[in-house]
Amino acid sequence: MKQELFVRRHEPEWLALERWLDARGQARKARNERRGWDGIADHEMPARYRRLCQQLALARRRGYSPVLVERLQQIMQRGHSLLYRTPPPRWHVALEFLLSGFPRQVRAERGCMLASLALFALPLVVIFVAIQLKPELASSLFDPLQLAGFENMYDPKDPERKLGRDSETDLAMFGYYIWNNVSIGFRTFASGLLAGLGTVLVLLFNGVSIGGVAGHLQAVGHGDPFWRFVAGHSAPELTAIVIAGGAGLRLGLNLVAPGRRRRIDALVEGGIRGARLCLGVFAMLVFAAFVEAFWSSIAWMPAWIKYSVGAGLWTLVLGWLLLGGRHLGPTGEHDGGAA
Amino acid sequence: MAVIDGRAAAVPVLDTCREVVTPEGVALRLPAAGPMPRALAWLIDFMLRMAILVAGSMVVGMLGRGSMGPYLILLFSVFWLYPIAFEVLWGGRTPGKRALGLRVIAANGAPVGWLAAFARNLLRVVDMLPFGYALGLLVSFGDPWGRRIGDMVAGTLVVHDSRTPPPATTPPAEPMAAPVVLLPHEQAALVAFAERAPRLTQARQIELAELGSPWLQARGDTAVQRLYGIANGLLGRRDPGPHGSGQHGSEQHGSEQHGSGQHG
Repeated sequence: MKQELFVRRHEPEWLALERWLDARGQARKARNERRGWDGIADHEMPARYRRLCQQLALARRRGYSPVLVERLQQIMQRGHSLLYRTPPPRWHVALEFLLSGFPRQVRAERGCMLASLALFALPLVVIFVAIQLKPELASSLFDPLQLAGFENMYDPKDPERKLGRDSETDLAMFGYYIWNNVSIGFRTFASGLLAGLGTVLVLLFNGVSIGGVAGHLQAVGHGDPFWRFVAGHSAPELTAIVIAGGAGLRLGLNLVAPGRRRRIDALVEGGIRGARLCLGVFAMLVFAAFVEAFWSSIAWMPAWIKYSVGAGLWTLVLGWLLLGGRHLGPTGEHDGGAA
Repeated sequence: MAVIDGRAAAVPVLDTCREVVTPEGVALRLPAAGPMPRALAWLIDFMLRMAILVAGSMVVGMLGRGSMGPYLILLFSVFWLYPIAFEVLWGGRTPGKRALGLRVIAANGAPVGWLAAFARNLLRVVDMLPFGYALGLLVSFGDPWGRRIGDMVAGTLVVHDSRTPPPATTPPAEPMAAPVVLLPHEQAALVAFAERAPRLTQARQIELAELGSPWLQARGDTAVQRLYGIANGLLGRRDPGPHGSGQHGSEQHGSEQHGSGQHG
């Protein structure tokens, strides 16, 4: 068929499609203009779109002019991006993900999570114990100025002061914790792309430095204010860093050992699963920042209240991670694909 | 739906178009964007972010230390959430990408989703290594579609936004048959010439048309006119419409009515 005849025969269809895409392509616009619409009915759209695809294939095969092919391809692209878009996120889906989807996903990666926990907790405990036995070890980890700063922040002789800070307000520290801790969490995950090495380094470094600070403060007798400070927010904060580490390790592992898949496919899968884990990590760290800024720093609260709230939060976080979503059945290696 | 786009597989494409075969079995051609326009788009975004932060710090300066917290949250949002939010909510475009006519899409041609946008922007951390996106640049030079590492892992692609093509008309000329037998790709080239030549200079039109002089047996302006005529013949235009575009337009209009009558 000659091109001119082809165009003449199908032009009205294309114009109608273009008109539909202009008028009804955006959900908000479509809702406003639902009444008084006299073009293609919405339910006819997929069939019309498939017809267009066939016409485009025909046009390409018959070698019709590039301008015509380009025009058809544009209509097709607009239709494609409408028919195959990801559904918009909804509040109840987000809530469901947080309550059951995220813990399930964490449990689905239990191997990586345990490895991440070991990389973080082992150096922490080892350094802590080592400093109790040989307090001078702390000065090889931190320089004297830093040590003096830590001691000053948790000085038991100054009971009126807020715990864990010099003079900033709660709100300023809230902002600081969000900026600092969430960035660390995201970086812990992303650096897993360096064959997992970046994540390993971040986890080791954090384990050593947290263990070092805690060990030093305990050794010089500033333990009480320090433990009162960290009891509350440690549960969401430390677990979130471990989970981000686990996601990073999974990504690195998929790069190094993709198994029976193309390496790029393994990476894409690891990336999407990691991104889902990072969404949960983000929520946990924002919650931790809130606790750290507005609760942990209160100095006058009796120690037993602080410790019981801390224990309650640990129970809550661990219970959530271990039990959340159990009613949906056992979690497997390939869990959490849909939400 | 049984038509398969045979040409797509047979002819290697010599540009950065990525061909994605959709569920309908038709190849969607996506023109991937290279590092240069993407770097420029990033630069525009960077300046915009800096402007937001400077404005934020001025507010902090006026309100005193108490507003440091909101400022740090603003810093966090500008650093991490700005690209994610824009890419998802604004059709795959940050302001910088919009200025450069770029768009982020999923590798299968669909709009980019929340998770993919989240992943590709988190992984900027790796692309930035060791400084100034050096790793991302290096990788995108090696990739046929100019993707950085974050794009590969998130399964996304940055493409040039397609522009509306000019109306497909050839200049009016008496339709004529070609004096020699033309192969399909030669026919396509002739039609493409006729559609694009009016936007070239006269000299260039003649220069191109005279490539066909040996078999057209004409030179200069006559060769151009003959090529237009042959293109019209190939397209199947019966009505020559020699007196300008007004008549041509009415002819188009008439044919539309004819077409709809045929269908109705």
